[in-house]
Amino acid sequence: MGRRFAMGAIGAAAATVLAFAGMTAPASAAGPPTADQQCLACHGMPGLEKPLTGGGTLSLHIPGDTFAQSVHSLIGCTGCHADVNLASHPAAVEPIASKRNFSLAMVQICRTCHTVEFEQWGQSIHAALVREGDPTAPICTSCHLPHAVTRGASESLDAVPCRMCHAAVFNAYAVSVHGVLRRGGLAEAPLCFNCHGAHDVSVASAGVGRRDVCLGCHTEAAASHRAWLPNVDLHFGVVECPVCHVPQAPRTVDLILYDSTTQKEVSGPVGMPKFEGLTGSTTATQPGLDPTTLLLLLKVTNRPGIEGKTSVRGRLELTQGVDNHALTFAFKAIRECNTCHREGSAAFQSVTVSVAGPTGIPIRYGVNKDVLNSAFSVDAIGGFYAIGGTRVTLLDMLLALALVGGVAWPLAHLTMRWVFKRYLNRTPHEQPKG
Amino acid sequence: MHRIYLHPLPVRIWHWINAATCVMLLLTGLQLRYLGLISVMPFGTAVAIHNWTGFILIANFFLWLGYYLCSDRIRVYHAESSPKEYFLGSLRQALFYGFGIFKGAPNPFRPSIYRKFNPLQAMTYQLIMIVLLPIQAATGILLWDLVGFVGTVAFFGGVRVIDTVHVLIFIFFVFYIPAHIYLGTLGRTPTLHFKEMVTGYEEEEDEDDSADEAEKRLGPGPAE
Repeated sequence: MGRRFAMGAIGAAAATVLAFAGMTAPASAAGPPTADQQCLACHGMPGLEKPLTGGGTLSLHIPGDTFAQSVHSLIGCTGCHADVNLASHPAAVEPIASKRNFSLAMVQICRTCHTVEFEQWGQSIHAALVREGDPTAPICTSCHLPHAVTRGASESLDAVPCRMCHAAVFNAYAVSVHGVLRRGGLAEAPLCFNCHGAHDVSVASAGVGRRDVCLGCHTEAAASHRAWLPNVDLHFGVVECPVCHVPQAPRTVDLILYDSTTQKEVSGPVGMPKFEGLTGSTTATQPGLDPTTLLLLLKVTNRPGIEGKTSVRGRLELTQGVDNHALTFAFKAIRECNTCHREGSAAFQSVTVSVAGPTGIPIRYGVNKDVLNSAFSVDAIGGFYAIGGTRVTLLDMLLALALVGGVAWPLAHLTMRWVFKRYLNRTPHEQPKG
Repeated sequence: MHRIYLHPLPVRIWHWINAATCVMLLLTGLQLRYLGLISVMPFGTAVAIHNWTGFILIANFFLWLGYYLCSDRIRVYHAESSPKEYFLGSLRQALFYGFGIFKGAPNPFRPSIYRKFNPLQAMTYQLIMIVLLPIQAATGILLWDLVGFVGTVAFFGGVRVIDTVHVLIFIFFVFYIPAHIYLGTLGRTPTLHFKEMVTGYEEEEDEDDSADEAEKRLGPGPAE
């Protein structure tokens, strides 16, 4: 009640000021246009706020100097707030439920001028999260403060808006080779939007996006790797760049379920309603899908009558998404093959199986790491194999048997020949008695 | 004693190249599969040697194939037309290796130019040269360029299926090669068969002498 009274008093005062300012204030080249000065006469007052019907308040304060320096000062207040009728403002304003609701309504105005960017945003993971109803998903005004936006501000290391939500990622980036070089003044060093897109922000872990992002700038990477790395194309397809270029980060093998026909990640195993129940299966020592269950799951998914064939494509990536941004200098990257191509490699101690989530972000389920060495996996995860690192234990046993047998039976045969030859060559008095 | 020109020069060249490449492939294969456990050479070096040696083996296979397709000696690989005769011959040979040899019995098989493999050898070499080696070469080529052959690899069930077949045949050769070398020592002298694979000539005892000798030691052969 008190707050409403305050608003009414301010409104009356504002109307008086608006009328006075409109009559007397001259247009100034250095300051806001007259019409904007009318608005700022009230909205420039710190503390001006509006109560929200859902609780809380919405600040209506617009710092005049800041707005004057913003690119939006060119179009003035009415450029975006054309619906405001000065004759009845502020008395006839609509009630607002929440800041979020207000922002969601206002960003529709952005598309009037920023059509391309708005369309790009509509394809982004951010927009997908908004459609999912995520109250924290960013919209235009989350990144671009509409009354303070200046040209190129988002391209500054210190002002890049991504860090507001992705602080941990930004901190990892800041100490990475990219962050260090950018801080050092190298304009070519990428900032967030160079890899993720400014408005069409995509899920970096989807498809082969991350690899192609890196190769987009590092066009010489394939050639330089080919000088020392066998099977470069295979490595580039299966091992994500940060796996070697963030040497200390923990790694995970992600077994991606994809449709063999469309070559796209599936949104869930078709015809497998109990998928999540199965993925929750555990053993005493290793959580997640065990090798047999994974095999059965794929068998059921691909049973006759189900359209499309679900296959598994493996990819080695970093366990924590944040770590992908802590890229180190190339000379510090992993070059030793035995990091992965040996038994017990740290790279193969964590395994997940993933499907594409509704927003494009993969949904991961835990898998028992033994799946990488199981004979059942020859069929189940035919699409992922690292020689030496994920070899099938049963084949190791067969090899040991073959090696022992291959040497043992000639030795045994040779021994028998020697024994018989000695026995046959004995004269009668040398024969054992009895 | 008489001499038979059993191993023509192309066959001898093929044999020794085949032996060298097989051993090299086995050793580098072990290095690749058991990096950490075996550290004879860097992984990248092992990959390079394994790949190049594999291609030499494949080229050598075509030398073998070309020679036999253009020569009447291909009859040495012809299958025995009579299953009964083949079975009895195999049984005789198995009994010789498993029993008669210990008592000094003569080898029941006497080679000739067009029939130089005993029934067990014939079966083994047919299996190796017509089935196992081509499959091993094919899976090796697929593993050499998994990206280039992605469609073929997927058709056969993925890289794990291809690799498992490759490793199973590798395991067979790990068992076979020591046995093959040992069986090569079972001539009249331990080095005789090896010398024959160098000179091409096999020295055979005259049949009458051999039969008499066998009669003296063992009586009639087990399947005769």
